[in-house]
Amino acid sequence: MIDFTAPRHRAKFGYLLLGPAVVLMAAIIVYPILLSVSISMQDVRIARIGGESEPWTFDNYIGLFQSAEFWEACWITSKFVLFVGGVSLVIALATAILVNQKFHGRSAARLLVMLPWAVPEVVATVIWAWMLDSSFGVVNWMLLRLGLISAQIPFTSDPTAAFFAVSFVMIWKGYPMMAIMLLAGLQSIPEEQYQAAEVDGAGVWQRFFYVTIPNLLPVIGVALIMTTLWVFRDFAIINVLTAGGPLGSTTTLSILTFEKSFAFFRMGEGAAVGVITLIICAILSRGMIGRFARSVH
Amino acid sequence: MQPKFKGGTELAKLKSLLLGTCAALALAAPVSAETLTFVSWMKGDPGYGDWWQEVITEFEKTHPGTTIEWTKVARSDFADTMFTMFAGDNPPDIVHLASFEFAPFANEGWLEDLGPWIAEANLDLTNWSGQSTCQWDGKTVCLMMLYTGYVMAYNEAMLAENGIAAPPTNWDEYLETARATTKDNDGDGVMDTYGVGIALKDAAGLMYATQGFVQDAGGSYTVDGKPAFNTPGVIEGLRRLKQLYDEKLIPADQTSGEVRQLFIEGKIATTVDGPWIYNTMKTATPEMQSVLKLSMPPGTPPVGGTSNVVTMPSDLSDEKKQLVWEFIQIAASEPFQKRFAELGSSPAPRAGIDYADLIAQEPYFSLFIESNEAASSAGIDRLPKGLELQFNEVQKIFFEEVQRMLIEGRSPEDAAAALQTAVEATL
Amino acid sequence: MRTRSLPGNIAVYATVGAVLITLLFPIYWMVITALSPSNQLRSFPPRFWPENPQFNVFSDILAAQPFGLWMVNTLLIALATLILSLTVSILAAYALSRHNLRGGESVGLFILLAKMLPATLLIIPLFAIFKSMGLVGNIWSVVIAQATMIVPFATWMLKGYFDTLPHELEQAALVDGCSPLGIIFRVILPISAPGLAATALYCFVISWSDYLFARTFLSTSESTWTLSMGIASMKGEFTTSWNVIMAASLMASVPIILVFLVLERFLVGGLSAGAEK
Repeated sequence: MIDFTAPRHRAKFGYLLLGPAVVLMAAIIVYPILLSVSISMQDVRIARIGGESEPWTFDNYIGLFQSAEFWEACWITSKFVLFVGGVSLVIALATAILVNQKFHGRSAARLLVMLPWAVPEVVATVIWAWMLDSSFGVVNWMLLRLGLISAQIPFTSDPTAAFFAVSFVMIWKGYPMMAIMLLAGLQSIPEEQYQAAEVDGAGVWQRFFYVTIPNLLPVIGVALIMTTLWVFRDFAIINVLTAGGPLGSTTTLSILTFEKSFAFFRMGEGAAVGVITLIICAILSRGMIGRFARSVH
Repeated sequence: MQPKFKGGTELAKLKSLLLGTCAALALAAPVSAETLTFVSWMKGDPGYGDWWQEVITEFEKTHPGTTIEWTKVARSDFADTMFTMFAGDNPPDIVHLASFEFAPFANEGWLEDLGPWIAEANLDLTNWSGQSTCQWDGKTVCLMMLYTGYVMAYNEAMLAENGIAAPPTNWDEYLETARATTKDNDGDGVMDTYGVGIALKDAAGLMYATQGFVQDAGGSYTVDGKPAFNTPGVIEGLRRLKQLYDEKLIPADQTSGEVRQLFIEGKIATTVDGPWIYNTMKTATPEMQSVLKLSMPPGTPPVGGTSNVVTMPSDLSDEKKQLVWEFIQIAASEPFQKRFAELGSSPAPRAGIDYADLIAQEPYFSLFIESNEAASSAGIDRLPKGLELQFNEVQKIFFEEVQRMLIEGRSPEDAAAALQTAVEATL
Repeated sequence: MRTRSLPGNIAVYATVGAVLITLLFPIYWMVITALSPSNQLRSFPPRFWPENPQFNVFSDILAAQPFGLWMVNTLLIALATLILSLTVSILAAYALSRHNLRGGESVGLFILLAKMLPATLLIIPLFAIFKSMGLVGNIWSVVIAQATMIVPFATWMLKGYFDTLPHELEQAALVDGCSPLGIIFRVILPISAPGLAATALYCFVISWSDYLFARTFLSTSESTWTLSMGIASMKGEFTTSWNVIMAASLMASVPIILVFLVLERFLVGGLSAGAEK
């Protein structure tokens, strides 16, 4: 038996531990990726698995790079990622710290804070769609009554309003997970560090920036990666709320992939969008992992 | 929840218990001599769903030893699910598809040519409503199960309250009715009722509603199978839609389902829809039901079209094909076609059925027949001929260009020209 | 222990209250919709409590639909997925966190691969894979597919959490002669309760709310339907009784709430909890 505690065998053990995860990914994900790459290189409307394949060509990619709608989708996706990711982080951090304080009903508060996560995406989106409805929605009604607006905001036919409506629903649905992770992360910050800082005369905000944030960085990093990838791929929220409209103002790469593959039956183009999404996500993740996810100690 | 990693044997036991239960669940479906799979969105729907159940019962009665496994997939997920099943080489045995989604399947050769089966069974399809849509590439790839003409549903009380004595029968009366019934009843600056119900958020709903205006203006989306958007009829139709929108006579951003819901709750005065609006009306409160009525749409000819088709996959064992064909025959037989009309409250596609007793029972039945005949004799279909393969794309293009016209205030002429260019690009 | 002054207390409670009200308003709206009669769903001006609340909507659903079957299926899938995902993720996360492996970062990236491809492109190939394994219509196809989607984030979540743990405990255990696996199970995991609880919760919620995989693989075998599929099937072609769907969704959320209540105290266990000396 190899003595895995010995330093020279330590690496082998590490790879062994990674084994199951790698095998799972390889077995389940690699084939779809290879297939998608293959389809993206063919001029096909509908690709059959096991059928003869068309000659390979870059036409789909060239067509995409020349199409305004593709670049528009890239731009819109990045807007969502930055806005939703950033705001979710702020809200999640604030919430996590808030429910970490000691007060009566803290457990109940934690449960309630996490409820948006428990509601199925489609149902949550439908409720928001009703609440944001231009003609009969309660949000418009309240804003009018409070005198904050003078005419109803058409959330799904005004491109700017639609962007914010979708972002808002995404933030609402997405921040609980971040908050839970941050809450767990807050637990592992040793109390001594706070006390030491206080002794040194640090105020509330300084303790936050010099004790809390540095300790939370690995968790924040992971949370940001997860949220970024989630926003990149999300389909249900946008589809139910605006179906990518109005006028394509909420059409992200994920919506474009679906539309081209399943709605318009242009699977070659759809696969190309998907492969490009994959590449972008891979580059982003690499960058973020490099910056954030190193161990703090 | 105690940490699960303590105690490997407990974990193993739990796992095997799980596996056992799962295996048991997976095998729970009864195994019979022959099982035909049938996937439809209509399962559980009142009316049409009940009729399919009767066909299934009849089939199982006349074919002891064969059962039909009927599962439901919601309409909104139906096309994707069917597409996945076909592309993954696992189609259902009895194929049920909407008429506007089967073209890509036929184009791939995934659907069986029913021609020989029809000939052998001597099934007479003359004057079978909408059957021509089932012709693809010279072959009959499906059997049309429903062709409908649209009707107008209106709130009689709301009309009367605002001085409209009778439902509108042409565009001018329609506009007048809409203006009279769009009001802010409690003075809070927000409209409480709207004159016209059009699904502005729904690509399909918007296209069909505009089609009504276009047809009334003498136009058509396609002529001889080619896109004809840049024509006076279409431009006028767009202009009418724009006028209703600009005068704020339509509630913004509603889907078709929401429009129907608002109508039965008394928030919308009129809406043009298929005969299924009648089933929706029947779910309203009794007070509402007494004032909700139907009449012919204010445009001539009315919008109409094919709805759904039944067929079988081309890749099936001969034995199964025979069984599926016999199922289709039952569905197409005269007694069942008549029953379809009864349960669905709309005329069946089969020609030559005597509807006298149905008309006596259901006063609106003759209205449905009238609309059907008006639409089919004018050769109307919601599915524009020549654009079947690209229908989803065309719908989206139409939706976007019309939205641009409405939101950005473009002229109907510009919108029509843009439509023509964009649609031609997809061919 | 810092004690708070009265103004401090008021501030905390007020903020918590305001936050909760804003965030939970949609849930409240769901409850209202669930209790409204199906022909009064779009009242305007909006009603803040239905005139005629239909409390029987919940029992009606239980009577009309195999809700219990759906719940059992969803539960079985969630548990199987949880066990599979956690096991795989814990091992991988530990390796990524503690072992400075050559190419470790790339492997970590590779594990994330599943979350980079749009789900749309996974559907047909996965369907083909599982069909060739004879697993279409079998809940194991859903379990494997879900686990594949969960492992990437679960691994990174745990890695992030493990990274915040001090190395001293493991070093002490090594000196004491503990085996490498033993270190994971007897030293790291007991003090990882918050991270584990968060990850377990994540696994459970993702599995519970999955619709895409369940729909793709289980459509044709109604006896294996999950809650999300059952609820989706309630959508009508022409109209939808949204009150019924909201009610069903509320009922379907109950197990998640229960799981959270159970896991909650572990979520905030703190570093000191479980670190035996």
